[in-house]
This record gives sequence, structure tokens and C-alpha cells, in this order.
Amino acid sequence: MQILSKSKLEEALNQLGKNAELFVPLARGEESGFYPWSSYQAGSDRLMLDALNVLLPPKSVVFPQTERMYSFTSTGPAVEIKETFESPQPRIIFGLRACDAAAIACFDDVFLTMGFIDSFYQARRDNTTIVAHACYEPGANCFCEAMGVDPTEPVNADVIIRDAGEVYIWESKSSKGEKLTAALGSLLENKEAAAPGLKPFQQQANYEGVAEKLKGMFEDPIWEQLAATCQTCGICTYVCPSCYCFDIQVKSWGEEGYRFRCYDSCMYSEYTQMAGGHNPRGNERERFRNRFLHKLQFFSERYGKPLCTGCGRCIVACPAGINIVEIINNIKEADTSVRA
Amino acid sequence: MSEHKCNCENPLVPGIVEVIDIKDETPDVKSFFVRGIGGGVPFDVMPGQLGMVSLLPVGEGMYSVSWQEEQEYLHFAIKRVGLMTNEMHRIEVGQQLGVRGPYGNGFPVEECKGKDMLFIAGGIGLAPLRSFIKYCFKHRQDYGKIQIIYGSRSYADLCFKDELFEEWPQEKDTEVYITIDNPEEGWDGHVGFVPAYLEEINPAAEGKIAVVCGPPVMIKFVLESLEKMGYTDEQVISTLEMRMKCGIGKCGRCNVGSEYICLDGPVFTLAQLKQLPPEW
Repeated sequence: MQILSKSKLEEALNQLGKNAELFVPLARGEESGFYPWSSYQAGSDRLMLDALNVLLPPKSVVFPQTERMYSFTSTGPAVEIKETFESPQPRIIFGLRACDAAAIACFDDVFLTMGFIDSFYQARRDNTTIVAHACYEPGANCFCEAMGVDPTEPVNADVIIRDAGEVYIWESKSSKGEKLTAALGSLLENKEAAAPGLKPFQQQANYEGVAEKLKGMFEDPIWEQLAATCQTCGICTYVCPSCYCFDIQVKSWGEEGYRFRCYDSCMYSEYTQMAGGHNPRGNERERFRNRFLHKLQFFSERYGKPLCTGCGRCIVACPAGINIVEIINNIKEADTSVRA
Repeated sequence: MSEHKCNCENPLVPGIVEVIDIKDETPDVKSFFVRGIGGGVPFDVMPGQLGMVSLLPVGEGMYSVSWQEEQEYLHFAIKRVGLMTNEMHRIEVGQQLGVRGPYGNGFPVEECKGKDMLFIAGGIGLAPLRSFIKYCFKHRQDYGKIQIIYGSRSYADLCFKDELFEEWPQEKDTEVYITIDNPEEGWDGHVGFVPAYLEEINPAAEGKIAVVCGPPVMIKFVLESLEKMGYTDEQVISTLEMRMKCGIGKCGRCNVGSEYICLDGPVFTLAQLKQLPPEW
């Protein structure tokens, strides 16, 4: 068994940061997220490896908030398109949790399967190594296990680290992981250490059978009640590690410009607003319903798993106190037999 | 990246085409004929498939390809309804556009072989059906009787008038029925809405496939009429429209249930549509 002593953590991060852009969970001012280790300011930044989830997920490492797709010139009737995308430097996401690793597996399903491969995503994903941090003590809003995620055995990880007190157990899971093991060299030691047992979850989501049950609940009055307080602000989609919907837009000046894509949100009416006026999801309840059906039913029908990995960030972020665990349980418990 | 073919390496980056002809179809519909710089089509399409057209720097919009003429050109018929289409209506021959595709499943041309075909369209809804209609004429021996029922608000709003009044009625075993919503001077044809006209014509369901496209309200009543006339859900095909950005089933917005209209559609049988949430 290989272990990394916590006293050698910074040295290890410095070492890994030599050959790749290394993203680690940091608290920075009032924010927290995955930031480059090279930007770490001792004193003001705080390394959040042993905290649970930081505020923002690491999705921007593989799927940036904005991304230039190509540039163009438009001179009178003539148009020229220049592909400007360059494959990114090798990257490492260090210390993400099982929920975030599982969310990247959802991205892989979306961007790399079902007919077309998204070249922009693929380039970033291929160059990204994932060091996942196993969890043994679920937080106040954690419910990953209910969504089919084993917090102690993160999927999609190239390396799994496990907190065993004074040391992290280091377990390489892929050839990408072996490279990191090699890069760390003697910083890793051969020693025995034991990971703790998994403590009970505080949040109890009962997702079993919900995807199937939702098939008959599209027109159920429950949506009116569940969506009543939603302001469609979109913060849930922004902090969600598995929300991937994007927009494509143009920025231009004079004859030049570029086309880029950026995060979008299904909570906004423009998302589905068609030229000519028709909007299939024109009101808040319809958008709210689509978001939760996408997460809990549609994605599962298409890719065989829900598009929620139980990280609990939306529960924390929602200004209206909407709680996806309560939504799942409300759906699970709804008596649809008495309804027309 | 070659100059005139779609960039297959990256499905989100368009190839460049040139507008070689523009034709006024109605006061708010124009036909655009495009081909690759130096000739050829940017990609091959099957009837009912879609192309994403870029007018830079204005925007990008998804349109049904109304016809691919061999390796000569692609034809888009575009109605002026918003920002992008307004600007499209101002361009001139020689304008270069970006185009990527083909997207979507297209009409089931193989499965329809040997059937009698009933095409029912309203307004700009004829644009996607036209590719299938012309495909049937091109492979005339593969299809049985062809009936086309088409309506618009007025005579001026009828698309593809040369084909409707001159070419298509000349085709073998083909009937073309045209109606306009309200009477007008100089029009001695049928007056009334498409669903009522359909019931009046009453084409027998046996051995037939009905292909429907038009405004949502027309589709709704046509589907009811067809059901009354004995058409099964498997005999009825429609093509849907949603806002689209990527065209490749990734960006999220064009879903109806777990299906993406850009990828799994836009063509569905009524039997398939009835399995989806009623958001279409």
C-alpha cells in the first residue's frame, strides 16, 4: 500500500504542478472552488482538501464557463473561419469528491457518446487526470449514496486518495494515475494504513423507483406545489457539478469576431424561446419540471443513471430553500392513484 | 479543413458556402440556394434532415433542408420571423454563409416504399415536406399514389407556386389540393382551413402514410381528422421544431422528454409522439 504523509502534501502538490496545471479545492475570500495550485496565496487562501465540497464544482476544468470555438472575419459577402482551439495543457483535478467525479462521468456520457463527439470537451477531458478523494463522513447536505454513488469508491478516478489520519492512502486506478505515482517518486511511502468506516448519511433521499414513477407524473399537480417558491434564478444549475447545458453566441467588432459557447440554464425562458414567439416551456413551473425530470427521469432513460450525484450544493445555494432531497421524497411518496 | 465540405473533425465548426440564388416565395418567405466555394454541396442530406446556417456575425439558425439538388446546391426556404431571419432576408446573391450538418433523422423514406403518400402542410410547413415530396417524384416507382394537401392564409402566402400549380400536378398518379383561408379576388380555388379540406377530400387510410407539418394549431386539428378517418398512429408522421443551438444532442434545450429533436428527431410517428410528454 502506498501512502502520502499529510506533512508532505504541499511538496507533493508542488511536484504534481510541475508537469500539469493542477487544480485544488481552495477557499478564497468568500468563495471556494477548484483553483490553480500555482495561484495559491499562503495566508489568504485556505486549502480545503479535508473539507467536504467547496462551493463551486470542478466542472469548469473540463467544461469552461466560456470557451471560444472559432474566430471569423466577415468582409462584405466574404466569410473566413479560423479554428483557434488549441488542445489544453495536461491538467490534474486534485481532491474532488466522489459526487464530482461521478458528475464528470455524466459529462463523458453527454459529450462523448450518442452519435457525435464534442471535440472541445474531448480535448480537455483527454488531458485531465482525476485524483478523487474518498469520503467517509457525509456532510449535512450530502446524499450521493441515494443517487447510486459510492462515496468511498469514486468512479472515473485515475487515483483515489483516502484520509487515514496522518496520511492519505494513495491508490492508482489507471495509467494516467500511474504517471502521477511515478512523478511523486519517494514522496509516496510503502506503509500500511487503514481508512475509516463510512458514517451514516444525515440526508435520506429515497430515489428508488422514482425515475419509473415520474413517467406517469408529467401532468401531476405536484409540480405546481413543488415549483411554487422557485424564482428561476438559475443558481442551482450554476453550482451543479452535472448541469452541462450551454448556449452558443457570437462576439464581434468590425469585420472580426469569434463564436463561443457558455453555460446556459434551463431555468431561463430564453433557453427555449423560439423566433416567432412560441416557447414550449414559457412559465416557471414548466421549466422547473423539466429541470427535475431531466435530472431524475430523462437522463436516466437516456444514459442509465440520474443526472444528480447528491453533492447537495443546490440545497445550500437556493435562495428559496428548495431542497432536491425533499423533492425526490415528495415524488416518491406522492399518491398518484387518487389523481385523475 | 477543406474549403467547402463540412468539417467532420469538429461537428460544431461550420464550413463555408456561397448563396448562388435567392427567390421570393411569399411576402415573408425566401428560398436560398447555397453551394460550396468552388462548387459542390457542403454535405449530403436525406429528406427531412436539418442544416445549421450561420450568417456572421448575426447568428446561427437551424432550418430544414428543402432539397438537395445532386451535388449542385442545398435549398433552404426561410420565413422572416426574428432577428436572424430578418437579416437573412436582406442578404444578396454572392453572400457567404457558414453551414454545418446534416442533423436529425429525416423522413423514413425506406419504410414508406410501396405506400400511397398523403402530404398535408400549412404555410412554411411545406418547406420540410417538399424534400420528401421531391424525393418521391425522383424515385416515382417506389411510391404509390401521391396526394398533397396544402393551405396558406392567402394566395400570396403559398410557397413554391411553380411546383404547386405547374410541376407537381403533371407528375404521374399525383393529386395536388390547394386551399387558402379566406376568399380573395382572382382566386377560384378552394377556400377554408386545411383540416376541413382534408376531411372533405377524405383520402382512404388503407395502404397510406400521412406526413404532416404546419402551424401547431393546424397539426392538432389535422391529427384529430386523420384519427377520425381511420389512420393509425403508425401511419402518421410529423416533423417537430424546437429552439436549437448545437444540433448534436449536447446543449440541452431541444428536448421533449428524453428525446432530442435535433438528434433523435425532428421526424416522429404519431405513435412515437404519444409516448413523449405533450411539450411538442
